[in-house]
Amino acid sequence: MDRAIIHLNVTDFAVAVERIGDSSLRNFPLIVASGAAGKSRTVVYDMSEEAYQDGVRKGMALQQASRYCRAARVIGPRPDLYRRAMAALVKRVVCYTPLVEQGEEDGHLFMDVTGTHRLFGPAPDIAWRLRKQLSADLGLDPVWSVASSKLVAKVASRMIRPFGEYIVGAGEEHIFLAPLPLSILPGLTAEELKILQDFNLHRIGQLAKLSRKQLLVPFRKRGSYLYEASRGRDHTAVRPAPEKDDCITMEHTFEEETANYAEVEAAVATLVHGVGRCLRRRNMLGGRLKLVLVHVDGKKSHRQVSWKRGSDNDFVLRDMAFGALDQVWGRRVRVRSCVLRCERILPRSPQQALFMLKSCQEEQQEKIITAMDQVCSRFGDGSIVLGTAI
Amino acid sequence: MARETLCPVLVGTSGYSYTEWVDSGFYPQGTRTPEMLYIYARSFPIVELNYTWYQMVRAEAISRMISRAPEEFLFAAKLTRTVTHERDRNWQQEVKKYRKGIRPLQGQLAVILIQLPGSFDWSRCNRYYLAHLLDTLHGFPLAVEFRHVSWARDSVFAELEKRHVTLVTVDAPPVRGLFPCLDVVTNPDLFFVRFHGRNLQGWQSENIQKKFDYCYADEELQQWNEQYLKPLRRNAERGVVFFNNHVRAQAPANGKFLQEMLLQ
Repeated sequence: MDRAIIHLNVTDFAVAVERIGDSSLRNFPLIVASGAAGKSRTVVYDMSEEAYQDGVRKGMALQQASRYCRAARVIGPRPDLYRRAMAALVKRVVCYTPLVEQGEEDGHLFMDVTGTHRLFGPAPDIAWRLRKQLSADLGLDPVWSVASSKLVAKVASRMIRPFGEYIVGAGEEHIFLAPLPLSILPGLTAEELKILQDFNLHRIGQLAKLSRKQLLVPFRKRGSYLYEASRGRDHTAVRPAPEKDDCITMEHTFEEETANYAEVEAAVATLVHGVGRCLRRRNMLGGRLKLVLVHVDGKKSHRQVSWKRGSDNDFVLRDMAFGALDQVWGRRVRVRSCVLRCERILPRSPQQALFMLKSCQEEQQEKIITAMDQVCSRFGDGSIVLGTAI
Repeated sequence: MARETLCPVLVGTSGYSYTEWVDSGFYPQGTRTPEMLYIYARSFPIVELNYTWYQMVRAEAISRMISRAPEEFLFAAKLTRTVTHERDRNWQQEVKKYRKGIRPLQGQLAVILIQLPGSFDWSRCNRYYLAHLLDTLHGFPLAVEFRHVSWARDSVFAELEKRHVTLVTVDAPPVRGLFPCLDVVTNPDLFFVRFHGRNLQGWQSENIQKKFDYCYADEELQQWNEQYLKPLRRNAERGVVFFNNHVRAQAPANGKFLQEMLLQ
């Protein structure tokens, strides 16, 4: 049986979500950029179609982007809002199939609806209904495509964005891809594209004429991928996100991107206190801390540190987080934001230890944390922080 | 004027590319999507293209599809939803695209089906729109399927007759407000019948699999033939009949039965 894969793509997801919240933003080209306008290091996080048409691109310096699109209004990113919007989108999609593979708050998702025709009808009808539903419920208007693989569905979406739909019939993948430029093929690196251009190959159909052996010489192991992809063959499965355990996530976005270790360390310490307070409020212990640094080029570095017994002690959690920071601190690219995620959350045992052998230092720490929690509960989160967070 | 002789009728189904028709036995086990049209054409001389409603027709895709069907095989193409159900200010551009996309089919195009939504009633605004739409599609054989009862009036039939546009005769569940089943011929060149099934409960649900889940009994089709098909055949040169009850391959089963019945 031919597979039926639907690709839904809400174009310029961050912009689309912001415009739902504030309809006045629809009247201008919009740039979502981390940091305030006018700061030299601020870069574009996302932009509206109008700004894109004017030459604005993701990762571009805001100053340059503002020159390209002078009419654009600039706002700061709200990752938490995008995350919630993505969750709302996925919630509606999983009614049709459990096989949903989603991106990270970017409005992309793949659905494998193979074999669901008896329940919901043909795949194009499912995609059309979903689009209608998302438009009515959330105000999001995704482009959709239907194909027999993720690769072809993604290319089809790229062809039609920012509006529309594309159905690629099973068995027509190679014909569909042949006239398209190589740059539209997912997974192709800039170096590979350069090599192909050096060989005077510009269309996917030209690449598809080469044999596996011919591709092996310049591309080695990647030759096999290029051979299959150029023919529209992609057998990779739609992988649903693993069941998410209970977790606590805190994020800090730097007003100006930074490469200063002390500045990032201070931000991490603040996040630790937030996580610790959340754990204590819920009477839980955290067993693993995952630190993610989001760099200005859009790449992410992450490390995690575990502690078997689990803890809600800010000092213990801080040591874990700093350990992760030491490991992750390597790229010489400025950091836009950092995310601290506490996983393996366990309930605190109601049973006290038989022999209370707390060190003097531990007792002191507990007193400090209790006092800080009291201050925070009276004057709000962040009203008092550990010295390392300054 | 009614004649004694009955005109020929071409029977087909609404769409042909259904995976569940493999499970249901209409297509042999292991049939892949690209092979379906060729196999379908062994049983029926015509098909109604459904996918053209979901996405704008593209000339290259149409050309590829034609190459898989016999030369004498005919197509009825649904007008795309951006012109009927989800139209906006740019609908004329969409019609232009449609005209361009459908061009390769012209030699084998029996008719373009303009299926209008249930909300499209006989209001002044909608009348203007329909007239404008028919004008922009001038030159193509056209058929209009109304879903709203307010269009069932003589002035509408007279206007369609003047324009040589076929009024689609529908067999559907008895839903209040739905356009009724009529044997009115507005275009003597062609009549057009669509069997949607009579699943009342399914019709009211949003689920396409429930909506078109119905199997016509032989007696129902025989009765329909006497009551509607024969009068239609006396008033036109040719007729096309499509079964839309595609669920579990009931459409091709009913289609085959009707074909045999008409041959007798």
